[in-house]
Amino acid sequence: MRRIFAQTKKEFTQILRDRLALALVLVLPLLILLLLGSAISLTVTELPIVVQDFDDSTASRNFIDAFRASNALYVVSWPSNRKPEESFNGNRGRAALIIPAHFERNILRGSSAPVQFLVDGSDANTANLVAGNAIRIIRAYNAGGGADTAPVKAEIRLWYNPGLSSDKYSGPGVFVLAMSMFPPLLASLAMAKEGEKKTILQVYVSNIPAQQYLLGKIIAFTLVGIAESIPLIILLRTYFGLSFVGDPSPFLVATVLYAFCVASFGVMVGALIPSRVAAIQVVALGGFLLVFLLSGLIFPIDNIPPELRWISDFVWGKYYIYVVRDAFLQGSGWPSTWLRNVVIAFMGSIFYFLAWGTMRRMQVKA
Amino acid sequence: MQNLTARVFNHRVAALIQKEFSQVRRDRRVALSLIVPPVLQLLLFGSVLNSKVENLRLGVMDDSRTPQSRELVAVLTDSRSFRLSGYYLSSKQLSDAIARGKIQAGVVIPYDYARTLQRGRQASVQFILNAMDANTATIARNYAEGVIATYGMGLRSSGLRANGRQNDSRGSSHHGQVDLQVSFLYNPGLVSSWFTVTGIFGLLCILNGSLVAAATMVREREAGTIEQLLMSPASTSEIIIAKITPLFFLLCLMALFAISLMRVVFHVPFHGSFLVVAGAAALCLLSGIGIGTFIATFTKSAEQAQLSSFFVNPPVASLSGALTPMEAMPHWMQPLAQFNPIYHFGVIARGSMLKGSGITTLWPHFLALLAFTVVLVSLSVWRFRKQLG
Repeated sequence: MRRIFAQTKKEFTQILRDRLALALVLVLPLLILLLLGSAISLTVTELPIVVQDFDDSTASRNFIDAFRASNALYVVSWPSNRKPEESFNGNRGRAALIIPAHFERNILRGSSAPVQFLVDGSDANTANLVAGNAIRIIRAYNAGGGADTAPVKAEIRLWYNPGLSSDKYSGPGVFVLAMSMFPPLLASLAMAKEGEKKTILQVYVSNIPAQQYLLGKIIAFTLVGIAESIPLIILLRTYFGLSFVGDPSPFLVATVLYAFCVASFGVMVGALIPSRVAAIQVVALGGFLLVFLLSGLIFPIDNIPPELRWISDFVWGKYYIYVVRDAFLQGSGWPSTWLRNVVIAFMGSIFYFLAWGTMRRMQVKA
Repeated sequence: MQNLTARVFNHRVAALIQKEFSQVRRDRRVALSLIVPPVLQLLLFGSVLNSKVENLRLGVMDDSRTPQSRELVAVLTDSRSFRLSGYYLSSKQLSDAIARGKIQAGVVIPYDYARTLQRGRQASVQFILNAMDANTATIARNYAEGVIATYGMGLRSSGLRANGRQNDSRGSSHHGQVDLQVSFLYNPGLVSSWFTVTGIFGLLCILNGSLVAAATMVREREAGTIEQLLMSPASTSEIIIAKITPLFFLLCLMALFAISLMRVVFHVPFHGSFLVVAGAAALCLLSGIGIGTFIATFTKSAEQAQLSSFFVNPPVASLSGALTPMEAMPHWMQPLAQFNPIYHFGVIARGSMLKGSGITTLWPHFLALLAFTVVLVSLSVWRFRKQLG
């Protein structure tokens, strides 16, 4: 036990001495959470649409007012002698509403009045949102503001995030990304450095066994991870307006386990690859790319093609993201999260044993 | 000017360029790392990052258990947006399933659903969506409303609701219905990879360019051979030009490879001119090399250069509109993207490839890209010379 803590203490001395490393763990994650957390979102609330009114009547102006009243779209003026598609260059308009002549006459006659809505489809998701919003506006307009006469009415309830704020989705996701990147980065660097500078030989000749040596390192970087999470959680609460709903204990346990898991991952990488440059690349791949792409950070996992989707089951970030989102948004507590906690701990132990497997004999490789 | 071009391409520079090329040839890993990871990333990002809302798991709690309620469920699950995941007996079970993520949406049909319909009154069903993912929830809400509205119209025209029709005719005598004809330009199938892949391409040009440039620039210093170069009669700008040329050449190969990948694998259309995209990509690569060289001048080892790029890359990548629409960013961040080469590249690539716009409409973005390239390259050359001097 004493040897483990001595090892941990030694790691801390080294981390505190390295200013670049400290900035990596304490400053950069906050920056990333602030930038990515609010920038990486798909839900666009104010989209410009251009309107060309060839009828120019009371009815058509009333109709355009229905679009003006929406807070998802805003109307940009566009000269009627220019092609509406030109506004799509440089995103001055995302869609064009074209009201043909005789719109008012058709409306007053009680016949159907066609209106064209051209959507810039180059960004498929935004196009979908614009079209959906326009259809909703039209539906409300056709109902005429009076009593809804549709035979079946869908009463839609948006659970867990009634304001449909995408920050509340991406904030926790980026929190997990930051947690998956920096502690393992430092851990792998510290471990690979010992291999590179051959100080590992001093460890080999000392009387510390491999398990204790590795555990000492892992404990140090687990603590680093926990320390990193605290300012991040504060930022989530203040800037992103998220607070714990329900029982926070699954989240707290998962955070400790996840810090252990990523620290073990870093130590394992460093033990397997005694080169700092290569170790950074592996951590960037495992910590950043896999977690960013395959854990449901921005885009739902269900959208990943099935040939690749199975990989996401092996990405540790996927389980932690679920627990974090549950703690901040759903609040369903232990029943839905205990298994994920177990998986995180299990994956961490696998990394630990893999690292131990390479270190076990404490001998210079022939 | 003529004097300068003559100096640049004199024998000394040619010899130095040859030296850099043979170094690259000897170290196959550099060439490999220039081609393989970008290709893999393009493939992975393009196929994984998909925002399509399809096949959401729908749970049903049907208290009505009538042909009418079963028809509603069938209509909902017939659409591509939802698929039936299971029936639940109580609202507790349904909300548990949503909380556990087993289903993403739930529909609750009340016990008097069929009776209300037959009496000609408005029947309401509750539609619950897990809105944690705001984007999916927004689109799913639109789908659900649309499906139910169409279903309602079908009911009305089939005459099931006599009273309702009366209501309706009274309503429509006042004004006709607006018929919105939506058409999606440039991407009628709404393939989301077209957007992602064009953005990722710009991202790769900058990030890969900077990564490789930083590694190459730092290597000579790490090995200590930089002094030998300085002792040679070549001037510092000649050394830099010689260092950049083979990198630029290889990165251009990577870009060509990526463009053909976009064409063959993702079927991104190519409505505009190839030269526009290639020119913009070349400018992007040069700015990337500029960023990398700049980073390299501040660092002493390859490890430090890589770590420093962690400070540069995430902001550059996230404020670029490459993966997500620009308008989704907070307002105070949006102007920052104007200072991001990836943003301008994205506008050019999408404008040219998807929309077929030419240089006449895209020139402001070209100008911006050119300005960045000039500033970044000269800044890095200046830093580099200062360090060598």
